[in-house]
Amino acid sequence: MFERRLYHHVDWGLLVAVLALCAVGLVQIYSATGGWTPIVQMQIYGVVLGLVALVICLSVDYRSLADKSHLIYVGIIGLLVYVLFFGAVRGGSRRWIDLGVFNVQPSEFVKAALALVLAKFFGDSRRAVVTRADLFVAGAVTAIPLVLVAQQPDLGTAATLIPVAFAVVYVAGMPMRILGVLALVGVLAAPMAWKFALQDYQRERISTFLDPAQDARGAGYQQIQARITVGSGGAWGKGFQEGTQGQLRFLPVAHNDFIFSVLAEEQGFAGVIVVLGLYLFVILRSLESARLAKDRLGAYLAMGVLASFAFQVMYNITMSAGLAPVKGLTLPLMSYGGSSMIATLAGFGLVLNVRMRRFTN
Amino acid sequence: MAQTEDRRRITVRLMVLQVSVVVTFAALAIGFWFLQIVQHTQFEEMAENNHQRTLALRAPRGVLFDRDGKVLVENRLSFTVSIVREHTKDLDRTIRLLAAVAGLDISTVRQIVDRHRGEPAYRPIVVIEDASLSQVAAIMARRLDFELPDVVVEQVPMRQYPADALAAHLFGYVGEASDSQIGEGVTSGAIVGQSGIERVYNRLLMGQDGARRVVVNSMGREIRTLEEVPPVEGRRVQLTIDYELQKAAEEGFRHAGFTGAALIMDPRNGEVLSYVSLPAYDPNDFAAGIDRATWASLNADRLKPLQNRAIQGRYSPGSIFKIVVATAALEEGLVTPDYRVSCGGGATFYGHYYKCWLKGGHGSVDMRHAIEQSCNVYFYTLGNMLGVDRIHKWADKLGLAGKTGIDLPNEQESLVPSTEWKLERFGEKWYAGETISVAIGQGQVSVTPASLAVMISTIANGGTRVTPHLIRAVDEGGGWKIATPPAVASTGLFRPETLAALHDGLWMVVNGHGTGGRARIPGLDVAGKTGTAQVISNKGRQAARGSDVDLRDHGWFVFFAPRDNPEIAGVIFGEHNEHGYLGAPIARHVIETYFAKKDGRPLPTLAPMPAPAAPEADPDLAPLEDQVPVAAATARAAARGTH
Repeated sequence: MFERRLYHHVDWGLLVAVLALCAVGLVQIYSATGGWTPIVQMQIYGVVLGLVALVICLSVDYRSLADKSHLIYVGIIGLLVYVLFFGAVRGGSRRWIDLGVFNVQPSEFVKAALALVLAKFFGDSRRAVVTRADLFVAGAVTAIPLVLVAQQPDLGTAATLIPVAFAVVYVAGMPMRILGVLALVGVLAAPMAWKFALQDYQRERISTFLDPAQDARGAGYQQIQARITVGSGGAWGKGFQEGTQGQLRFLPVAHNDFIFSVLAEEQGFAGVIVVLGLYLFVILRSLESARLAKDRLGAYLAMGVLASFAFQVMYNITMSAGLAPVKGLTLPLMSYGGSSMIATLAGFGLVLNVRMRRFTN
Repeated sequence: MAQTEDRRRITVRLMVLQVSVVVTFAALAIGFWFLQIVQHTQFEEMAENNHQRTLALRAPRGVLFDRDGKVLVENRLSFTVSIVREHTKDLDRTIRLLAAVAGLDISTVRQIVDRHRGEPAYRPIVVIEDASLSQVAAIMARRLDFELPDVVVEQVPMRQYPADALAAHLFGYVGEASDSQIGEGVTSGAIVGQSGIERVYNRLLMGQDGARRVVVNSMGREIRTLEEVPPVEGRRVQLTIDYELQKAAEEGFRHAGFTGAALIMDPRNGEVLSYVSLPAYDPNDFAAGIDRATWASLNADRLKPLQNRAIQGRYSPGSIFKIVVATAALEEGLVTPDYRVSCGGGATFYGHYYKCWLKGGHGSVDMRHAIEQSCNVYFYTLGNMLGVDRIHKWADKLGLAGKTGIDLPNEQESLVPSTEWKLERFGEKWYAGETISVAIGQGQVSVTPASLAVMISTIANGGTRVTPHLIRAVDEGGGWKIATPPAVASTGLFRPETLAALHDGLWMVVNGHGTGGRARIPGLDVAGKTGTAQVISNKGRQAARGSDVDLRDHGWFVFFAPRDNPEIAGVIFGEHNEHGYLGAPIARHVIETYFAKKDGRPLPTLAPMPAPAAPEADPDLAPLEDQVPVAAATARAAARGTH
């Protein structure tokens, strides 16, 4: 299954960058939570388990995995349905399966599963262009888990599924005309969604984003604090564990959603540039994997996996600087979260897999 | 073919994505550059304001001691409860909860908060000064439950004054600095002296507030102290006041049943031993920030408890002024103590008949007896010989014109008229007839109790006009340092025969057949003089009949003891007590206390009030209608002059 020569084709650069980001994340979680806390330990377990998952996803030929993608997809959907009824509730959302030692968040794994199933679907397609029927299927395949996750409710994670579908259909050759139509529909649907689909607190978040001062103590608070956190970091930062904003809890969930703000505060613009560089490297390197893929399946798979990752990275970092509405979206590889870490590393296993097997048949 | 086209399309679209990603990251980097480099200073300051808080540590004010080292005014610890709005999400909720927990009226709390709404959010708004222990306990419990994280309870020193409002006008009171008081070490919200010694010696007493810079977390909880500058306590100040004499004087008033003022001092150096103004207010009411209702009632009170009568009340001195006329006549060499005048119950000057108080007249009296008997005709005669300007000159020398210079704020000037004064004030020349009423302390003579205390001290010590003062020593940090007494205002030793005649006459007032018998102390030569200050002319009294204004006369008693080498001198002013002699028992009680203390004897106590005696003939009562035309004329002139 794993041939020795494949070892030489592993993209070590990408792997090192990914692990470097994990390490930076661990350091910042250590700083934000105030030392050697259970949270840091859980994150280390997450990285270790994630590496195991990465190796597994790397070892099995992605083509064989894709052949089983429908089973994986159905399995995950099953888990999501299970969560809806029997999941553990925290903070008003039902997202987790309680395994006693730790909780698993199935929605994190949906991204990779969706990437697999969509890659398989379009990779098998004999046609050179994406038809409306294809689009409809892809839309349905995406909508099912999206709705299930949104019901938890976890709109952030649900939203990350959309880039997966978009990336795959885009690379698979969706006509630009349809893309334009979709964009138009999106623009027209926005006011309707504003009125009917969003909860009050979500509307509030968006309106305070546009003018944080209107509610400086309420919903705008986090956004203002995020900007203060980042801005006060300066060029070189306040130093490890010296950030006042994160350490004194002016910024909530500093080890989670706002870990990049804490990094910016403690390590300054220098640290920001290094980490931005690492993420950019990881994303470009993964795009490279897609470009080099031996077949369309591989390219679509790498793209699908990369899409949710890149979307989450860019959105979270923008939000960390207080430049986007606050939304419960974590920063992959750095934020605290075991399921997210395992799923993300598994995803990179797939990306590495595609590149590694570019010469095999 | 399809394969290659496929690949080309993928490559192109991947390129598009690649470029988009690079552009996005570049935009992010620029965004962070703006926040972290361009706007860094601004955000750094905001972060600092977020987590650092400077708490003022109020300095205890200097302790005031009496001349024997007894503590008069000190500080106690009190709790203040404030709201810090910095991280408050719902201010109204905090106000409601705090009001409920502390048992306060919500609208009151809201008013206080509204008054300070414009201030920076990190500055605490003091809601309760001097909170009770049960309030503090209730608030602290809620704080621990995170229900009132924005409410701060601090321990601050609070001024504590003696019970019974002892010497209230002397000490004065403290309060938050007004806008005009801010500057030179006084910051907004500082507690400064607003009246009395607290105000005059505020610089000494205030000390220096300290500060503590602390790090707080997002809940407003203190995490650690960054820097602490401890407060410096105000200077300890020793007053010239004698606690026992102060108490004796105030007890004397309470016992006698009228209000008024007293200033008792050491005639040798001007050290004030006792300073009374009644009715008084309780300075403790001001220490915790006076509430509106109390302030309003103090201001509206018809008895004017806020008025510092001893230096702010001006009254006609009545017969007390005869001492001045006697001194002037003797020192100007117009008469000798043996100069005799025949009193037949009145005399005519400038076509007017002026009465003596004794209908039948005193017969032929010399200076000593004229003082003892307070014979009006004798002093009309001397006054007429002197003229108003020489009376004014000697009144000034004795300390009756202008201010005494006592170290208390807002002293009023005493007034003894002169030709120059009248010309300047009213543009009219002086009529010799006016001098006649001035000679017995009426007309426009208007003096403060303090100035009469200085006058009698000058008579007592033989001509040295001392400046009454209140500070004996100050502890500048290295032990007590005797304060430099104010310079003696003027020294002009009287001739021995002047002194002998005055002292004899005043001694006879108390120990002979005069009106001051109630001040007599066997074995001690007390000297004194009574007087009556008319509140209103007899004609005016009739006009005002039926109104509820108190029109009864004020009574004076000035004294010193012993007659030779006096150690204590002073004035008792009884408001609307009608008779000067009613102040004499107060003086006696103070003098007895003074000498008992000096000789180490047990201090005297006041016997229960005797049954009211039948009114005695009071020679100080105004000599009736004859003066009225003059007084009324000048009053009219005064009214014109002010326009």
